[in-house]
Amino acid sequence: MGRIPTAELGRYLLTGQLGRQGCLRGAGGRRFPTRHFASQIETSTSTSTSTSTSTALPPNADPAPPPTPLRKQLKEQARSLKASGKTKTKNADNQTVAGWELTVGIEIHAQLNTARKLFSAAATSVNDAANSHVALFDAAMPGAQPLFQPATLIPAVRAALALGCTVQRVSRFDRKHYFHWDQPAGYQITQYHAPLARGGRVVLRARDGIAGEDGAAVAVAIRQLQLEQDTAKTTAQPGGAHWLDLNRVGLPLVEIITAPEIRHPATAAALVRKVQMLLRSVDACVLGMEAGGLRADVNVSVRRAGEGGLGTRTEIKNLSSFRAVEDAVIAERDRQIAVLEAGGTVAGETRGWSLGSTETRRLRGKEGEVDYRYMPDPDLGPVVVGDDLVRHLGASMGALPDAELDQLVDGHGLSAKDALSLMLLDDGARIQYFYKVLDAVEARLGCAGDGTGGCQTQAGQRHALLAANWCLHELGKLTEISSDLGMTPDGECHVPSGDLAAILGHLHQREITAKVAKDLLWGVFRGDVAAGGVTQAIETGGLWFRELSEQEYAALADRVAHGEAKVLGDFLRFKQGRTKAYPQGKLMFLVGKMMRAGPEQQMDPASAEKVMRSRIEQVYVPGLEAEA
Amino acid sequence: MSARGRPRSLRLRHVCPSRWQQRRLLNHFISKAPEPTDEPTPAFSFTLAVKDNIATTTPPASTPTTTPTTTPTPPPPSPPPLPTTCASPFLAAYHSPFEATIVTQLRARGARLVGKTNLDEFGMGSHSTFSAAGAAAQTPAAGAAAGTQDPAVRLSAGGSSGGSAVAVADGAADVALGTDTGGSVRLPAAYCGVVGFKPSYGMLSRFGVVPYANSLDTVGLLARGVGRIRELVVGPGGLWSEHDARDPTSLSEAARRRCARGREGYAAGRAGEGPVGGVLRGVRFGMPLEYNIAELDPRIRDAWAATAKRLQDEFGARVVPVSLPTTRHALAAYYVIAPAEASSNLAKYDGVRYGARDEDAASDAAGGVLYAGSRGRGFGDEVKRRILLGSYTLSSEAMDNYFIQAQRVRRLVRRDFNRVFALDNPLHERETFELSELDESIAMEDKWGPEEVDFLLCPTAPTLAPKLERVLNQTPVDAYMNDVFTVPASLAGLPAISIPMPVASNAAGAMPEGPGTAGLQLIGQYWDDARLLSVAGAVSKTLQAADPGR
Repeated sequence: MGRIPTAELGRYLLTGQLGRQGCLRGAGGRRFPTRHFASQIETSTSTSTSTSTSTALPPNADPAPPPTPLRKQLKEQARSLKASGKTKTKNADNQTVAGWELTVGIEIHAQLNTARKLFSAAATSVNDAANSHVALFDAAMPGAQPLFQPATLIPAVRAALALGCTVQRVSRFDRKHYFHWDQPAGYQITQYHAPLARGGRVVLRARDGIAGEDGAAVAVAIRQLQLEQDTAKTTAQPGGAHWLDLNRVGLPLVEIITAPEIRHPATAAALVRKVQMLLRSVDACVLGMEAGGLRADVNVSVRRAGEGGLGTRTEIKNLSSFRAVEDAVIAERDRQIAVLEAGGTVAGETRGWSLGSTETRRLRGKEGEVDYRYMPDPDLGPVVVGDDLVRHLGASMGALPDAELDQLVDGHGLSAKDALSLMLLDDGARIQYFYKVLDAVEARLGCAGDGTGGCQTQAGQRHALLAANWCLHELGKLTEISSDLGMTPDGECHVPSGDLAAILGHLHQREITAKVAKDLLWGVFRGDVAAGGVTQAIETGGLWFRELSEQEYAALADRVAHGEAKVLGDFLRFKQGRTKAYPQGKLMFLVGKMMRAGPEQQMDPASAEKVMRSRIEQVYVPGLEAEA
Repeated sequence: MSARGRPRSLRLRHVCPSRWQQRRLLNHFISKAPEPTDEPTPAFSFTLAVKDNIATTTPPASTPTTTPTTTPTPPPPSPPPLPTTCASPFLAAYHSPFEATIVTQLRARGARLVGKTNLDEFGMGSHSTFSAAGAAAQTPAAGAAAGTQDPAVRLSAGGSSGGSAVAVADGAADVALGTDTGGSVRLPAAYCGVVGFKPSYGMLSRFGVVPYANSLDTVGLLARGVGRIRELVVGPGGLWSEHDARDPTSLSEAARRRCARGREGYAAGRAGEGPVGGVLRGVRFGMPLEYNIAELDPRIRDAWAATAKRLQDEFGARVVPVSLPTTRHALAAYYVIAPAEASSNLAKYDGVRYGARDEDAASDAAGGVLYAGSRGRGFGDEVKRRILLGSYTLSSEAMDNYFIQAQRVRRLVRRDFNRVFALDNPLHERETFELSELDESIAMEDKWGPEEVDFLLCPTAPTLAPKLERVLNQTPVDAYMNDVFTVPASLAGLPAISIPMPVASNAAGAMPEGPGTAGLQLIGQYWDDARLLSVAGAVSKTLQAADPGR
């Protein structure tokens, strides 16, 4: 599964269906169901520099699923699948159907990172008290008028630039009419006739997780990017009631429309993921897909291989996770092919998809389609974006993810997987945290701390690997037990970057052991160690690494080796040329014994190994030879 | 904030002090503010009636200037706020949480709100008959039946601001606010014998005005004379200079100054004030040939021609024929654009937040239609007609043939005006015009083309105020015809004013109970409001002097 680059998708794929619980909206339920599996993954995928050993399983490691309805439903589905003799094909092996070609176009809606709504000065919010940020216009009070908030243009233009679009000098707002209770005005203001930006391109590489059939890279054209209003949030209540939260009404969205030129389901999911990463990297959107800040509609059609033109398309609305995009495309493709092979015709219709299902379902047909009656909004003038604004935003945008990823991999020596995980975690805040930690570590160690100059050296790469390993894996372990890191967008969390850097600095200079370092991390996280007090805590706890002298190591080795004649015999046979491979396993066995026997906080496994090795060669083996 | 309790569509009248009961048949108010009970009325300088599609709240309790000698009395309980019903069952009990900017502006200039006036539902109609509060009407001002109570001889008040026009005509208010989308202030002014002014689009704030068709809606003012309106709009501290940040179509301060630089009458000096002859001398009036239609009442045609002749012969004005060839298409374009915007604006009235929910209706789930029942019950006939019309013209198959074409016609209408006016339109690039496109009947002033004019002089409506009974039996399309002379200025966003023009009573005396006046309309170039009001005031004086009936 090496080509699946993100921790997120990895969790999905490696944990199978159960992992889908992870794409449910809302942060609370996100990690719990996958916790047990997640720890296994992280253990098994630790990079070589990881000093971690297998962590203790969480107390409730019992694999029996809690009785959540969804999980039960999934189990039953799996059972019925088994009973019917079919097993679910892995998506990676299900990217093509012989004799058929798939075409997918995607519309992505993303909430823009702004302080105010699109057409009112009401604040944007995520979890504030319902209906607490509603201007007169948001509630469509008679006589209230829209007031375009120019600040919205900043993230919108950045998003357009990140996607390689050309920002249009003049764009306009149109009303799109349909009746729904979540839309107080009876219409949504969008940009139908003259969108903000057109003609972009997103390049997807193999590391973005595209289908293997797409090769090393594939480009997807972005047709247009437009501004529009979000609708109210509906919460279903018992008894058929629906509660509306108008806080979300009028939040600025960008809708990103791709050309219909995606050929494989995995590539469709990769595109959505890549767009999310691009938007985040330029700070254009706040929330990721898993938090409901990004939604995708996919248009799917199939045609027989070699046929010209496109088949009739269906639209699958409101997909809220990357996995859902891929699964829904596969399901809809298979459904359309089945219909056509049975001699039927595909109806142009709107379909829905629920998490964990294996089929799309019909929402409304062509005859039920709404005529949106687009009309230019007569209250709103055109939006004119000057070249100077576009230039300035383009210049101040910072590195795009691909460039940043290249830098992390080539410059800092991280693995592509770890680099991507760092960039994706915590809505992009984890990588900021990583940079802070790395800078602080290098400052402590007295290297040039600019992150780019110093890291080309081997020492610099070692620092980066150490920091990445701790920012990713050791920090990740904290969240397995406790709720969350409290990561802020600018890259600070409950473990201040300075403190982690202090721990890593001491660790790197072998002033403390890895175990002590981990204990300190926990201490800082829990608040047992005050911020800035790492060195103090080591001092008062007497945790400095005072390594045993060579004589003490040798004495320990002698004690351990006593009575291990059978093991030592292997070394003799190696010396005599009767076995080809050096018995490294046996050596490590002895080192392990040594570590257990001695005062651990004063021992370094590497030193122990060095001493044990030399004792074997110089003392024990000659001793055995002498006996023989 | 939202609709309270059940709609009281049949009980819209909230306060009805006895003084007004004798005029019950006029039905020009939907709700009335209580009469000020105590004598020390603050510095109110005029009474104001507000069309009921303009949001009002209770004014903030005016801090009484208590003198230390008087014992402090508890402040009087503030009167209940007046609803803003738009004459629609949907908003029968709607109290706006905020006040329209124009009302606040007028309060600051000494207005005392006397009530909310009747109208066609949401401003859609030409006779103020499509109202949930019942039709408004006027009694003939002149003739044998003057002041009659006989319903059979009541006349149309015009619409949609009919209630405002009647309130001004019968003295209930000195000034009334109306809204003019396609003539809704000018037409009732013409029918009721008062002055109705529609300013340039973007001059007066629409914030708080319940929209009918945003791109055409303007706030209009009605009064018995031009002077009062002129004082408010372009007098010292006039409304013309005030930008409203809450209305995106309100011209910015900078744009106002720029527009005013090319115009007379906005400077501090009261230019234009003076003897009538001085104002009118040398002013060039255009008589649009296309407005002389077959349906034009001969009495109006005669009065129009006579007025033009007097202006030329006695006051030194120039009167020349002009051609506005697109006029004949303007009405059709208006009745595509306005319903289209209306259908969009009225989408919010769905029974969820406003009006009565149709409890029997299906849910919004697939196949169900939650809103249709509520909307079917909640809107009046004319509003439903225009929503259907607008929904059709915006539908994807009809859009190109109707809405887009109508917008093209709208541009041509504006172009027509720009061609005949001597002043440029400050909102558009200067255009050049082909002489070959011109109507052959237009006389050339020189080889460069026909003479350009300052104002257009034309009737406000093709007929005098018709009897209410007749109006009620009209087909809707007949009613739309009344807007034929007022719609072009609305489409072009130009300032226009209707002033009363006396007409001769029929020689045969066939309609002794008929109205004594028609409306004479003056249309000016964009932002030429100041000079328009000044010239209209002067023309009005000449008409009064010439009134055969006085």
